Order: sequence, then C-alpha cells, then structure tokens
Amino acid sequence: MFVDFFYILRESGIPVAPTSFLRLHKALALGLVNGLTDFYTAARTILVKSERYFDIYDRVFAHFFQGAELPDFKGVDLDIAAKALLDEWLKRPEELADALGLPKDKIKSMTPDELLKYFLDRLKEQTEAHHGGGRWIGTGGTSPVGHSGYHPGGMRVGGRSMSKSAIKVALDRRYKDYSLDAPLTQAQMGEALKRLRRMVPVGPKDQVNVDETIRATTKNAGEIEIVFERSLRDRLKVILMIDNGGWSMDPYIDLVQTLFNYARAQFKDVKIFYFHNTIYDFVWEDPPRRYKPQRVQDLATWDRQSRLVIIGDASMAPYELMATDGSIHIEERSGLPSIDRLNLLAQTFPHNAWLNPTPLRLWPLTRTIGAISTIFPMFELTLDGLDSAVTHMMSKN
Amino acid sequence: MRNESSSPVFTGASKYVLDEELAKIVNISIALEMPLLLKGEPGTGKTMLAHAIAESLNMELIVLNVKSSLKLVEALYQYDTLTRLNDSRFGDSQRDVSNIEEYIRMGKIGRSFAADNRVVLLIDEIDKADTDFQDDMLDVLDQMAFDIIEIDKTITTKHRPVIIITSNAKKDLSDPFLGRCNFHHIAFPDPDMMRMIINVHFPDLDNELLDMSVKTFYKLRDFQGIEKKPATRELINWVRALRADPDFRLKDLVQAKIPYLGILFKKSSDYQLAVQQSRRLR
Repeated sequence: MFVDFFYILRESGIPVAPTSFLRLHKALALGLVNGLTDFYTAARTILVKSERYFDIYDRVFAHFFQGAELPDFKGVDLDIAAKALLDEWLKRPEELADALGLPKDKIKSMTPDELLKYFLDRLKEQTEAHHGGGRWIGTGGTSPVGHSGYHPGGMRVGGRSMSKSAIKVALDRRYKDYSLDAPLTQAQMGEALKRLRRMVPVGPKDQVNVDETIRATTKNAGEIEIVFERSLRDRLKVILMIDNGGWSMDPYIDLVQTLFNYARAQFKDVKIFYFHNTIYDFVWEDPPRRYKPQRVQDLATWDRQSRLVIIGDASMAPYELMATDGSIHIEERSGLPSIDRLNLLAQTFPHNAWLNPTPLRLWPLTRTIGAISTIFPMFELTLDGLDSAVTHMMSKN
Repeated sequence: MRNESSSPVFTGASKYVLDEELAKIVNISIALEMPLLLKGEPGTGKTMLAHAIAESLNMELIVLNVKSSLKLVEALYQYDTLTRLNDSRFGDSQRDVSNIEEYIRMGKIGRSFAADNRVVLLIDEIDKADTDFQDDMLDVLDQMAFDIIEIDKTITTKHRPVIIITSNAKKDLSDPFLGRCNFHHIAFPDPDMMRMIINVHFPDLDNELLDMSVKTFYKLRDFQGIEKKPATRELINWVRALRADPDFRLKDLVQAKIPYLGILFKKSSDYQLAVQQSRRLR
C-alpha cells in the first residue's frame, strides 16, 4: 500500500527521493505518526520539498486515501523510482548505505538488480509491519511529540483546526495558487518578477583591462598578472504586445502590465502595445486601440536586440490570420495577411516569445495556435512557462 | 512502538500563535533530528518560529544571519591571526602564542555544535548566500561535524542542534540540499488566525477595533497591483499607531477613512495606488 503511494507521488511529477521515503518510514517506526492527519503532515514535510508541489500532493493524497478523482497523469512508469534510486546510489553510496542500513562495503558489492530488490523488500517489510490492527499506520504507541495543542502554561494554539479529516484538508487544495501549472495569479507576482529579473545581459569576462593589468603587474613585482573584465553590455529593451481584444484575455492584462511595469527599472526601455486577436498593419500604444497607432513596418528600424514578448490567446477564426483582408478595421487593408506580419516581426526581433494563458492541453484544439507557434515559440502563461520563455529569450545571444 | 520518549515537545510560546499543522512538523523534525526548511511570504513568522521554539523548549537560540558574501568557514570558526601576531610581537596577553587553539574563535554554527546543551540554530535567509555556501553546508549537516584545519581537530556535535532554516525563495535551493531538510511552506495567516495573532500582541484591544482593523487589513491586501503587500509586522505597527492616536475614532475605519496608510505600504508607488484605491472603498 505504501509503496504504491510512493510511486503515485513520483508518477504525478513530485520528485520524491527514495531516501526521503525511507526517512518517512523511520518516522513511522519511531511512532511519531498517529493517524491519517499526522501522516498527511509528516509525509508532506518529509517528502515534498517545494510548495509548488503541495497542490499535486493534496490531490494525490485525497485520491489515494479516499479515491477522489485523480487528474490524468502520464502513463505508469514504475521504473522511475528504481532509476532514481540507482542515480542516488551512484552519486552518494555512503548516504544510501546509511538509509538502507547496510554496510558500505556490502552495498558496493551489490549489483544494481540486487540493490533494487533489497530496496523493494525493505519497503514491503515496512508495509507488513504496520498492517497490524487493520491500520497501516502505527495505531498503539504514545507519541512523544505533541499533537494538537495543549499546554498547561496558557500557551495558545490557533489557526486552522485539524478537526477536519486530513482528506478534507487535502481536498481543500489550499496550495493551488502555488502550483506550477496553474495560470499566473496576483499571488505569484513576486515569483514571476524574479523570473523576469533573469533577463539581464551578461557578457563573458573577455576584455583585458590594460590599466589594471599594469597596476597588478607592478604590484606583483613584475610577474605578469592579466586583469580581465566583463565586456560592456547595455541593458535590454523590451517590446510587449498584448492582445486586449477578447474577454478571454481580461484576467491577465492587468497582471502582465503590472509585472512588466515593476520590472521596468532593470530594462533600458519597456514599450507596451495593444492589438486585437492578431497583428495587421498597426499596433496601438493606448489600450482602447484608437489614438496612438504604431505602424508595424516602422518597427523594422528599431533595435534588433530588443526582446519581443507577445501575450495573447492566439485563438481566432483562421481567416483572420490567413486572409489578405482579415482585419476588421477598414484602414488596415494593405493586402498583407496577418501571418506575414507576424513573420516579419519574428524576423525583425529574433529574440521573441509568445505567452499564452490558454492551458497547454487545449492548444491542439485551436488551429491558429498551431500556426502561430510555428512562427513564435509559444509558452504557457504560468511560472514554468515564464521560466522557459525567459531562458529561451536569453539563450540566443 | 517507541520505547523512550526523550524528544522535547514544542507546543508554542507566549508571543507566537502556533498553527497545529506547523507544531506537528516542528516536532517531527526535532524527533528525526532533521533541519527544517521554512519558506513563505515575508511576515508569516518564519524567523519568529525559531525564537518561539527556543523560548518554549528553554534552549539557547543561536542566530546566523546569512549575508550574500558569507563563506561557510566564517560560520564555523575563525582563526584570529591578527591577535596572534600582535601577541607574539608584544607578548602582553595571557594567551599562549604557540597554542593556535587559543586563537580559534567559533562562528555561529561552530558554537551551536560545541554547545554543552542542545540549542536552537536559526539559519536565517539562506537563499541570500551563493550556492557554494549551501553545497559546503551539505557535508556539515550530514556529518554534524567539521574540521578545524589549523589545529587538525574535529568538532562533533554533543547534541544535534534543532536547526531551523528560512528562505524567501530569492533563489532556488539545490536538490541535494533540499534532500537533507524537512520542508514546510507557511501560508499567509487567514483572518481568524490573524485575529488571534493581534490578540496575543494586544490582549486589551477591544473587539470592535480588532475586527475592524483585521477586516480593513485584508481589504487593503486585496488591492490591485501592489508589489509589497503589507504583512503581519505592518499590521501590528498599524494597530499600535491607531491606539496611540487620540483623535482616532473607530467609525473612521467603518467609513473606510484609513489613517496611516504609510505604515502599511512602504513603497511610494504602492502607497499611491493604495491611497487611490482606498478612496474607492468609501
């Protein structure tokens, strides 16, 4: 039963190390865990190392112990745990030996297969040992640790009462906001900002500073000492284009603007433009898209090193993208279909990314998303997506 | 199941409102002798927790404030060469110059290892240091021992300290490091919890003011586009200011005339946004 829990956690994408799992067993063996509520807390604190995974943990826990609906995770791969175990083994034999309670010499002489078998046996042993009185978590036993607050000296325990069952607590999904794959929320602003802060140009230390070299050399009594310094790079310019047309974008517009406005200080320049669904002849500097048009072809004269970030759901009728007169605005009938405009933009600014608030799994359902993602590398508007987008934009130096 | 119950039990402290879940986590970490890594927004009481543990278990608290330039060796021990040189030149001290050990000063981690009683070691904001610091610390945490190279001596813990590590998540911590810690993320307290926290700090505060100020506080936290949201610390200071002001009337808050916004919002852009949006509350 336990082994399954371990595997399901891993299959769901939580990086649970085998050593942590053994540590959880140690906690069980020490009688630190009394009941499911304790188990929920203990297992989380020992196995899960980032709040980003708390939400997945909650879902898996609820599913495993009550059969709440588990989202469809990728195919079952029982080898993952085994592989992780072996990796660990290769990296730190001492630690693994310690965790398994084997002498180091013995573990060295074991073949990978033997080791794996030993590990699984060890886990099974534990399961059986705790199967006892119909419950697999230690039932008897007084815990040496305080559970539920009681203190004669008038101490205060407050906050969320654990009178709810652990499963109910798990089903609350309190950590949804921290989950990596949820769309960006206000709560994650700080985290997202940190992702953007990585957008700084770093040159290699490849320029000889002659003055410093002479000074260092004389100080060194003639022994030559060459001083290198970073080549100067200017801060980045960012062009942000936001689709503020459809209602589907509404929740994200404010968020993204705030995000980039706060990041403004570290960029040389942030320009924000707006468009509706896709880009034709113009983008606009004002959100109502009326007063300050900017001709797209004029952007070609701008600095090629600018990072172009487009935020939009990229979902529209195919003709809006492909037809020569796809625009709903009469003044934009220059005869170029939007897809050519996008291509032009992508060529003008080779460092680009498209952020899409639509969840990744829905992308194949919309044709225009497919078409646009061949032009701009497309990322989800999540912390993870932002991460990859920033890495992508910085990598093509 | 457990034959001896020697582990101390942490139940809370006088100025700290303890979440039941967190109490369990702390106790499990103490029993397993594992460092506990705490993450969470500023103002959720990560640092306070270590103080509370020390107070409640009656242990000495040793605080290591991590700075970006900190090297692990400095946290372990320092070899005071300058004093030794001085002593050897002038020879007017009680110290024996030929004995290097007299010139070794323990750092914070070193002190917590060498202490005669079990202590609480708080490593505050570990994410500020570079990754080297974390990597170097792995071994020390693993072995609970370190070498003093100058005198060829190994310091081993007499009692494994209760180690609390906090991080504001400025940088991600490395996986091997995480593997050696228990982990908890402290969420921002909900209004009920916050009421209790304020109550602990102001036991004589009248209920109406308590309810109203907490309610207003959460409304303020919901303002759009704020970079640094007010946290517990700000709320406590704000309540203190409200109480100190003789002209303050509770009905101001009811009418959403919020005084002293500057205590809650500390960045000028945040402050201006807050002033604008608080007008809308009326």
